[in-house]
Amino acid sequence: MATSKDPQYILRYFDRIGVAEGSKLLLSAANVEWIEEHPEWPQEKPNQPFGRMPVLIEKHVDDTDFVICESGNIERYLARAYGFIPSDIRQAAFQEQLRDQASDMFAAFISQLVAKSEEDRRENFAKFDGLLDKLVEVQTKQINANGNNGHLFGDKLSYADIVTYAFYKIIVVGMVKRQANIVDIVRPKLTPQLIKLITAVEANPLLSSYMTRSDSLAAVVTKPTSARL
Amino acid sequence: MFSSKVVYILRYFDSTGLAESSRILLTAAGVEWTDEHPEWPQEKPNQPHGRMPVLVEKSTDGSPDFVICESSNIERYLARTYGFLPADLKQAALQEQVRDLISDVNGLFTGYVYCQNANDKAMLIAKFESLLDTLIETQTILLKNNGNTGRLFGNSLSYADIVSYGFYINMMINAAQFKPDIANLIKPKLTPELVKLISTAEFDPLTVKHKSKDGSLTAAISA
Repeated sequence: MATSKDPQYILRYFDRIGVAEGSKLLLSAANVEWIEEHPEWPQEKPNQPFGRMPVLIEKHVDDTDFVICESGNIERYLARAYGFIPSDIRQAAFQEQLRDQASDMFAAFISQLVAKSEEDRRENFAKFDGLLDKLVEVQTKQINANGNNGHLFGDKLSYADIVTYAFYKIIVVGMVKRQANIVDIVRPKLTPQLIKLITAVEANPLLSSYMTRSDSLAAVVTKPTSARL
Repeated sequence: MFSSKVVYILRYFDSTGLAESSRILLTAAGVEWTDEHPEWPQEKPNQPHGRMPVLVEKSTDGSPDFVICESSNIERYLARTYGFLPADLKQAALQEQVRDLISDVNGLFTGYVYCQNANDKAMLIAKFESLLDTLIETQTILLKNNGNTGRLFGNSLSYADIVSYGFYINMMINAAQFKPDIANLIKPKLTPELVKLISTAEFDPLTVKHKSKDGSLTAAISA
């Protein structure tokens, strides 16, 4: 229950679905007061801790600000502060390694997107494709081990569920304008277990407010493809 | 910390690379640990994510091995377990974001190494240098604000100190196999504060006995 003592948050990022998406989901699920800020860019670069975004500002009623950056760091901080990462260090590590792997996959996706030459675009795409296949395999294995209940771990919405959803959303929804074919590359690879997880995340009551403002990933990944017709 | 004895295996290539910070953390923690260099790529399928490094934590009480991967995840796990990361979430986040920036710098260098086309190589090395400048500036400001003691935070060897050292030893010595002039590119950029961080981290009582495959970074910088 929010009180006047509770901090408020500002999340600074571009006005798009990108690496800040996991943080948006966590802020929403934590049910705290938060707003997005879309600073003039690159004018506001020097005013950010590392000259980059996202940046999280935690404001307190006594006017002290706590400012951090780096998307994975912001997510882990919020997830720990609001109970989405287990306090058991080992259980936390199992969740965090999935995010780190997804982040590497996304970095490879970006490499093939921005490559100037066709040869490097092909090489980087092969790397992205391989990392994506492995990620899907690892995630699906974990979902199965957890009883295929729509969660990677336990039976409540976790950091792992959220960041897993976030990375697929960034690529399949966020990036489609920059790479139209990405949906037909990623969608067929998603296992029923992953589609169930994606659907469960969107249906979770903790994210009902988020879903009123955000496009549905589930709608995209459950659309029938020509291969299924 | 543990009721029975715990020993660690760190699986990686026989190089500093992305494993060195974990090795230094293991040494600093004072636990028993060994390096393992699996046949590669034959052992790929036997790793959690088909990649290395991998940390295996074995207990002598018969409980199953605890196995994790992803270099920065391994580092955070060891740092939390052995007290090199503060328990306070805010203080931890201020340290972890330095490591996350390091990851991004590493990623740009790897991208540069593995691309073929001259235009792509030029683009990536420029991005690498620019972000490296950001990293150096960030670390230097932290060091100055902390009294230029050779420590990024607080009064004792921290996770942030260790992962920073691990970054520089890999990037200045090991990375020369991929880009021969890399040390000459980085050395002039090192601020006096960073040089002090490097020697302070290398000669801390907790780390001084650590033997790195790349030798002494302090010696390499002053050469």
